[in-house]
Amino acid sequence: MSAEWNDNSPIYRQLKARVVGMMLDGVLQSGDALPSVRQVAADYQLNPITVSRAYQELVDDALVEKRRGLGMYVLEGARDKLLASERERFMREEWPAMLERITQLGLNLEQLLQASRDSGAHGESA
Amino acid sequence: MNALNKDSVISARGLRKQYGKQVAIDGISFDIAPGRIVGLIGPNGSGKTTTLKAILGLTGFDGELSVLGRDPRVQRDALMDDVCFIADVAILPGWLRVADAIDFIAGVHPRFDRSKAERYLAHTKLAPKMKVKAMSKGMVVQLHLALVMAIDAKLLVLDEPTLGLDILYRKQFYQNLLEDYFDENKTIVITTHQIEEVEHILSDLMFIRDGKIVLASSMEEVGERYIEVMVGPQHVNPARALQPISERSVFGKSVMLFDGVARTQLAALGEVRTPSLADLFVATMKGSYQ
Repeated sequence: MSAEWNDNSPIYRQLKARVVGMMLDGVLQSGDALPSVRQVAADYQLNPITVSRAYQELVDDALVEKRRGLGMYVLEGARDKLLASERERFMREEWPAMLERITQLGLNLEQLLQASRDSGAHGESA
Repeated sequence: MNALNKDSVISARGLRKQYGKQVAIDGISFDIAPGRIVGLIGPNGSGKTTTLKAILGLTGFDGELSVLGRDPRVQRDALMDDVCFIADVAILPGWLRVADAIDFIAGVHPRFDRSKAERYLAHTKLAPKMKVKAMSKGMVVQLHLALVMAIDAKLLVLDEPTLGLDILYRKQFYQNLLEDYFDENKTIVITTHQIEEVEHILSDLMFIRDGKIVLASSMEEVGERYIEVMVGPQHVNPARALQPISERSVFGKSVMLFDGVARTQLAALGEVRTPSLADLFVATMKGSYQ
């Protein structure tokens, strides 16, 4: 496994975002175990404190739970919870900027829909 | 000056060493807590190796130093039960076979776990009958690591452990260390010039220059304290007024490094980011060889 980190946010945040991404993609599902702190530290060559910190935030967000002596497990409903919060964040942070750009370029809804049909993107609903 | 800290794995107060008229370590004080991975980083001749030698009881010194609660000057033998050391210079004799090395350590070291060393060696190309002189540098380091990891020492001191190794061996070295050796009861002190390689592994950083510690801090504090800003041309003067510790030019933009200036204040001047340890090192050690 290799990892490239950017300098814009702390590594533990970036690691957390990766785990969140894996949950959204369904790679990690409810009841799945997260790899141990030691394993992730070794694979990504990170200090174990960094890994623990990322995991702790996932616990604080109620996405994973710590089972005594066993490790971290993805909680039931974690993906739905993430989808809800990520959708909310998209609408609040990303969409306004995107809308502004669309307006700036004078694109209309039909053009946008046509473009996504042409590229084969399908509006999958979860 | 404060007394030695009993809870520290290593506690130094006014540690000083002089070779003739040359001062190698100039009265340094520091504490290293258990469960930390500390990078001791400095230019050539800054006093890193002398500091390690003092910790290992390989040299005399002035001042106070306690390692795992012992004085390395007079309790070196007892100390060596709990401390391991990998140096950049090959110290294993050429005629030594892998099996001899294991027998030897098993004979002299009370805490050596032979099966653990053999398990580790099984993952390498090292065969029991292989002699040190037939090994590549990477293989010698693997043998060292097998012996050291099986001793389960509380403190591991690494002096340029990956010097001269190829990238595969280097990566594997740190991977093994984190997977099979390190835990919250152990402590690792590393000196290296390969800062990029250990940057994310470290929990603490010590920069040493001319025998003095110029920066000692947890990596978390480093991330909060030092901020790099890509300053746009219109903000250069106000940014300079905040006294950056370094300034360099990238694609016509000034990249300035600040120490202890509020992130919100800097964000108004341009894109902010965390500097790499290499950049921080260069900024801190400016003019070292002049």
